[in-house]
Amino acid sequence: MRALASNKASIWRSLLCCLFTLLPALGYADTFGVEVKNAEITLQGNSYVLSADMDYRLSARALEALQNGVPLYWDIHIKVQQHRDYFWDKTLASSGIRYRIQYHALLNMYRVRNEGSGELYNFSTLSAALDLMSTIHGFHVMDRPVGASTERYAVGIKVTLDRDALPLPLRPIAYTNPQWYLSSDWTLWPLIK
Amino acid sequence: MAFDKIKPPISLSILVLFGLILLLLQLMSSATQESSELSAMYSWLLLVNALGSVVLLGLVGANIYSLARQLKKREAGSRLTTRMVSLFVVLALAPAAIVFYFSMQFLHQGIDSWFNVEIDRAMEDALELSQASLDQRMRWHLRQTQQLTEKLVEAPETLATLEIENLRELSGASEMTLFSRQGRIIASSSINPGDILPSLPDEHTWLQLRQNSEYVALTPVRDDELMIRVIVTVKAKESQYLQALYPVPVRIADLADSVEFAFVRYQEMHFLRHSLKLSFSLALSLVLLMSLLAAIWVAFISIRNIVAPVKALVKGTQAVASGHYDQELPVIAQDDLGFLVESFNEMTHRIARASDETRMAGIEVENQRAYLETILANLTAGVISFDAGHKIRTANQAAYRIFRIHVNQFVGRTLLELVESYAELAEPLKSIQRLLEQADDIWQQRIAFLGPNGRQELLCRGTPLFSQEGFRVGAVVVFDDVTDLIQAQKNAAWGEVARRLAHEIKNPLTPIQLSAERLQHKLANKLADGDADMLQRSTTTIVQQVEAMKEMVDDFSEYAKPSKKQTVDIDLPRLVQEVLALYVLKSGVKFKADYDVGLLMVKGDPVSIRQVLHNLIKNALEAIDAKGLIEISLRRVQKNNTDFIEIALYDDGPGIKDEQIEQIFEPYVTTKAKGTGLGLAIVKKIIEEHGGAIWVDTSRKVGAGFIIQLPACNY
Repeated sequence: MRALASNKASIWRSLLCCLFTLLPALGYADTFGVEVKNAEITLQGNSYVLSADMDYRLSARALEALQNGVPLYWDIHIKVQQHRDYFWDKTLASSGIRYRIQYHALLNMYRVRNEGSGELYNFSTLSAALDLMSTIHGFHVMDRPVGASTERYAVGIKVTLDRDALPLPLRPIAYTNPQWYLSSDWTLWPLIK
Repeated sequence: MAFDKIKPPISLSILVLFGLILLLLQLMSSATQESSELSAMYSWLLLVNALGSVVLLGLVGANIYSLARQLKKREAGSRLTTRMVSLFVVLALAPAAIVFYFSMQFLHQGIDSWFNVEIDRAMEDALELSQASLDQRMRWHLRQTQQLTEKLVEAPETLATLEIENLRELSGASEMTLFSRQGRIIASSSINPGDILPSLPDEHTWLQLRQNSEYVALTPVRDDELMIRVIVTVKAKESQYLQALYPVPVRIADLADSVEFAFVRYQEMHFLRHSLKLSFSLALSLVLLMSLLAAIWVAFISIRNIVAPVKALVKGTQAVASGHYDQELPVIAQDDLGFLVESFNEMTHRIARASDETRMAGIEVENQRAYLETILANLTAGVISFDAGHKIRTANQAAYRIFRIHVNQFVGRTLLELVESYAELAEPLKSIQRLLEQADDIWQQRIAFLGPNGRQELLCRGTPLFSQEGFRVGAVVVFDDVTDLIQAQKNAAWGEVARRLAHEIKNPLTPIQLSAERLQHKLANKLADGDADMLQRSTTTIVQQVEAMKEMVDDFSEYAKPSKKQTVDIDLPRLVQEVLALYVLKSGVKFKADYDVGLLMVKGDPVSIRQVLHNLIKNALEAIDAKGLIEISLRRVQKNNTDFIEIALYDDGPGIKDEQIEQIFEPYVTTKAKGTGLGLAIVKKIIEEHGGAIWVDTSRKVGAGFIIQLPACNY
């Protein structure tokens, strides 16, 4: 370590070195959360349909909770926005899918339920269960927007963990412990007409 | 004031606040019930409560800060407030802390007591039992299905549907399907005729099936229904599978569900144990914190209200101490403090009244003093007050006038000190000093002395002043210049004597003279020469003496008669010149006249003034025995802001003896062998009638000198 060299400058340099070395490490520590891997919107007939792939990486705390029978509720939010120069963007359409994933000890299964349609899916492995939630295929977003060709539109997708649906005692912790910050940010991309 | 009126009473605000806090806490408590509708709002309620605590903390902090500032400034009532607040906080905090501590203890122990190893194991065992029971059932159904496939061996494919139907009914399965390895359905039968499409295995099942050539598993159908799915290879036809769906009996399914539900709940609770503790502790802490903060805040407000009258009292007392008696404190409540405030107001009223009375009395005393001073100042008698050390404290105008000592040299000095500066007043001042020192009671004494204006006589009365304890604290001396009074008395007496003398003596003189002349006339021719001569000498003597007596009586009447003055302006130099002209002719006498420049006019009777000059010059001529020098000077002098014309007349004769000086102006005082002794008396009378003064100039060592001062005419 050169940092142990006598002068102060070298100490500062070494500190900076450490910082830069640690930064990626901090990044690695944040290996949980939902990430939208790719998403595309296509025009099928007269309406736009969305296909997207997400990656669910549960934190240790969330995984532990799930395996102890705590159901986790996930919301996939989808919106279409019209860009406005001097005002907030106007939301033209917003829809979503709500999943519940829960572990069943008796059957040793993970059960995913689409809260909207009521469909049930059972999986013997977690990854299979998460895979179901990870894929959206041909999701109807909206009818073709009527507007001038100069207007710009954007599509956004976001996945959140509904912390208010967690058991009551877990909620204060869920709001304060970063292990429970699993929601993704909005992933936005322009809508090509 | 208007704001005060619309402000709700403080007690109401406090009640509302407490109600709000209770409501919030109750809501939060309700929200902790999982089933409650408020459960969804739990986080928000927690946040609102936390915010409420922060707001209360801010309020309490602001109050503490304000109190600290008041303490630093040593404001009235701040220390009492601090003590009361501290006491309240300690009293409130101690039991709350104890309750909190034990609640936490009970809470933690209570939650921990829900979980233990036995229950853990029991739960797991129960689940295992359920699983074992279901496993057994699955195995049994597997064997049953395997046996069924043996019956399928002979049946041709076309009759398979019928065969399957039979087999399904035989086995009690709810659905039975025969399908090829590729997933093509060959035959199917369902207990429910409506189900046209049989439930086919999914990819995962296929995978297992291909590996193990048989598959058995529990499959949830819909929400709460369990099925046992069994797939086995048809032994005769390797390319075919038989799938049978057996319903799990409702009772067993319910039991398994119940066990699972309990296990899951237990697992969940076990997992959430720490969160639960934390959550309850948080809620408890929040409740305690909010209640405490609210209580402390309310304590601040209440204590401020309690201390307010005390504060006002302290301020009021300070104001009264610094002399502002017009303090009227508002009576807020009719309690003990209110009574105290009322008493204070009563006290300040009384003090203010007493103070006003004192001030009025002071003004009255001052007025009296001024009045007395005015009277004293206008008295003709001199009044001097002395302190215990015989120093002069006050003296009135008359005292200055009598002693002719300037005001600023009078006060604060003793009489003996004044003697050093005014040697001519040594005699009276020393006398008064002696009397002051000696007299223990009221004293009165006449003091005569020779002042700068001749002989003066003072009538002094002294009163020593004593304190209530009997100590001598000073004295007051009142004195009058009685010179003029005594002189006037003397003059009046002499006037009376003269008038009587004239009256009594003059009347028999004429008969005496006539009788003597008649004797002379009748007997002169009849007597012998010797006798005739004797008669002649005797009658001549009688006539001469009678004439002399007549002159003397005339002199007396002249002295006695009241003056009949005609006042005109007299040019004194001219008058002196005229008088001197009558004497200049007399040989052997030199006259020297010396006049000031300017007008030397007096108002008076020229005849009287002429007589004065005659008398004085005659006296001088007699004194110098008709040979020598007589000097007359006239000049203007100023005395007591009045202009006087001074006539000084000197001779170089033998002078006047000291013992005669005092009485020289009295009638019948003469140094001459001849004369009535009325000359100078008349002179003095005339001069005094003209408002002037005459005295012997004692400073002159050679001969005699007279000084006359007459008020000058001011033009």
